[in-house]
Formats: sequence, C-alpha cells, structure tokens
Amino acid sequence: MSKERFSRQSFLGPDSDQRIARCTIGVPGLGGGGSHVIQQLAHVGFQDYVIYDGDIVEESNLNRLVGAKSIDVPAETPKLHIAKMMILGLQPQARIRGFGGRWQENPELLRECQIVIGCVDSYQGRHELEVACRRYMMHYIDIGMDVHGQNPPVIGGQVILSSPGNLCMRCVGFLTDQKIAEEAARYGKAGPRPQVVWPNGVLASTAVGLAVDIVTGWTRRALPYAYLVYDGNLGTVKESVTLRNFKITACPHYSGIDVGDPILMEL
Amino acid sequence: MKVEIRLTGSLHGEILRDLARPHPFAAERVGFVFGRVGTLAAEGRLVLLNRYHSIPDDQYVDDPAVGARIGSDAITGAMQAVYHGRPAREGVFHIHVHPHRGETGMSGVDARETPKMMPGFQSVGRETAHGIIILSLDHGAGWVWLPGRKEPVAAGTVSVIGKPLGVFEKGGRR
Repeated sequence: MSKERFSRQSFLGPDSDQRIARCTIGVPGLGGGGSHVIQQLAHVGFQDYVIYDGDIVEESNLNRLVGAKSIDVPAETPKLHIAKMMILGLQPQARIRGFGGRWQENPELLRECQIVIGCVDSYQGRHELEVACRRYMMHYIDIGMDVHGQNPPVIGGQVILSSPGNLCMRCVGFLTDQKIAEEAARYGKAGPRPQVVWPNGVLASTAVGLAVDIVTGWTRRALPYAYLVYDGNLGTVKESVTLRNFKITACPHYSGIDVGDPILMEL
Repeated sequence: MKVEIRLTGSLHGEILRDLARPHPFAAERVGFVFGRVGTLAAEGRLVLLNRYHSIPDDQYVDDPAVGARIGSDAITGAMQAVYHGRPAREGVFHIHVHPHRGETGMSGVDARETPKMMPGFQSVGRETAHGIIILSLDHGAGWVWLPGRKEPVAAGTVSVIGKPLGVFEKGGRR
C-alpha cells in the first residue's frame, strides 16, 4: 500500500497504517449499519475482515444499504457480496472471511477478531454477541437505531463500547433482562422497523472512530467503556446521562476468569 | 495448527509491572500466567490468559549463570494451581520479558531450560495447553504445548486486547 494512500491520516500515529492492517475486525450484520461500517473500515485501511450476513438485497433495503444498486434487487445479490465488493474495491489485498448466515452458525470465525462491531437488530442478538466477545476477549462495539412515536417521530440510537474487563452493556443500563423478555414476547408481532440512511451513517462513523482510537490510541485517552447516545431529531451524539454519577467501577456481570470454550461437567 | 494467544490490556500491564521490579539478587524476574483454551476455525486454538501469578522473591535460586532461576517451590506451586484448575482446564504459561523493542524469541537458555517444565505441567493438567510466553517492550511471542503434544506450536499472534490494541505477529507476517 502506498504511503500516499494514508497521508491525510498520518496524525493517527507513525505506525498507524500497520496497526490498522494487523487488526482482525468482525462485522456481524451487513445491512443499513453494517454496510456503512464496512465502507469506512475499508477507507481507513483495515485489511482483515470476518463478516456475516445471510440476507439478499431487497427493494426496501435500497433506501440505506451503502453499495447496493437497483439491479441488486432482481439479481438477488447477497448483502455479503455487496460488502466484499466494497472492501475489495478499496483494499484489493484485503483478507475477507465471509459467511452467508448468522454468526452463531459459524462462531469460531468470529473469535479470530480483536474487535467486533455488532450491527444486529435485537437486544437478544446484542446480548449473545457481547457474551461471545467477553468469553473470547474481543472489544465489542454495538450500534443501533430506532424510531419511536409519530408526533413527531423521534430518532434515537446508541454506540456502546464493551471491552473485556470493563463495564458491559448491562452495567451502563442499556441491556436488561426486561428488555430482552419484552422483545421476545413481541417476536413476530411487529412489522418492519423504520430505518433511514443518515442515522446509520452517524452511528457507523462514531463506531469506526472508536475502533480506530482503540487500534491506534491516537486520542491518548483511556477508553475503558463508552455509551454514546444519538438524538436524530437534534442531530447530536452525547455521552449517556445514565453515566452521570456512575458508581460502578467493575463489571459484576462478566468474570474475567471465565474465558474460552465452556466446559460441561458431569454432576 | 494455528494457535493464537490473547490477554487483556490490564493483565498485560500487571505482568509488565511485576516483571520490571528489581529482585534482590536475580538479574530478571519470571512469572506464571494462567489461561484457558478456545476453539478457532479449522481446529485452531486460542489461548486466553486470565490471571497472573507473581513468584515471591524467596522462591528464586541464586544462579549467576542465568538471568533468573526459580526453585522447586515455585514450580510445585504452579503445578498445584494447574491441578486445582483442572475442572476449568486451566493451563500455565511461564512468562518473562526480554528488555528490548521489536519481535523477540527464545534465548539459548530459554530453549534449553524452560521446556523442561512442560512434562510436569502436562502431567497435572492433561486436557489443556501449557507453554512459554516471552514479551519484549512492545511485542510478544509464545509457544504452546497442546494436550498430548511433546513439541510446541509457535503462536501466530499474541494479542493484547486493550487500548491501544496490540497485535504482535510472529515473523512479521501481515
């Protein structure tokens, strides 16, 4: 890769190109959020990808799926293919391990990552990703958006960093058993959730910014965890108010000792 | 077979701080770090280091011929820890620092002396991996004895999951 390619991002550090290239990064979910994430990771210079999505491009995806074209709908192009083409168009030497299905069907691949950016829709899906990232020591960055109400509609979203040994999504109050249970009770009853391109772009950019900071350390700030909240009506991203007067300093939900493959014992 | 080693940034810092302390007579310090194993694709293995054991000053043996020599108490202590960690298949890794920058490897003494500990560790922890990890000031390398194996596998990477992220690759591979 030529020096010129990354000359405008040299402030990230003298060896930042190599640091970024050495990192293996995972992106489960290559839809509205994941397609933005992939595009930016490839621009920044990530070279080693583990990506998952089993869906094909549908008409309703074209309002936000970065890289998809109208022809991809009749062609039934897999979203995985869109992501691969995006990466290879910018990083022809990239190593891409892609799986056309859910990450849970091929979890061993994901464990090769040092950073995972989760672009999944459900609380349960986020919970499962965080559990895997804790067990196999991976930084987990979660993004998600939603639209609530009608008068006027309110766009909200979040970017959360959950790193091994530090506070998790339960600690910061984002993930609760109640939310997971309510979601499970609603399963199959709700129609398609509203999604638009620009909030996904903001959230993806924020997540990629966190990933680049983790890899290069360019901000020189400690970053044990992050919970950033997006207000799509005001157009702001701020630290969550739940972190004010935050008293928890150690995660009570995940033990740093319980890592690796679960072991089944006969009782 | 592909083998990778991973530890958190906080554990990496704890290890470096402990091993940097001067010893009353040894020229360097050594330690033990414990870990469990995860499965990677294509039957690869991921060694996840999860806690560090500092060796007390009085368990070193004064031997000017080497940088550090530990006595039987230290090795027995590590073997007991492996024995008690059998339900969780916890293995033990001898760890020390080579105080230079860049990729590091086993010295002649490391290659000759450290592997002698492995049969003992394997005898008390048959179902897990044990090994040797050598850190430099900004890199790291590891050799892993998988269950039932007499020869080690060199780890492809040692990753420090902290900020900044450290991905130390063997042989400068991409």
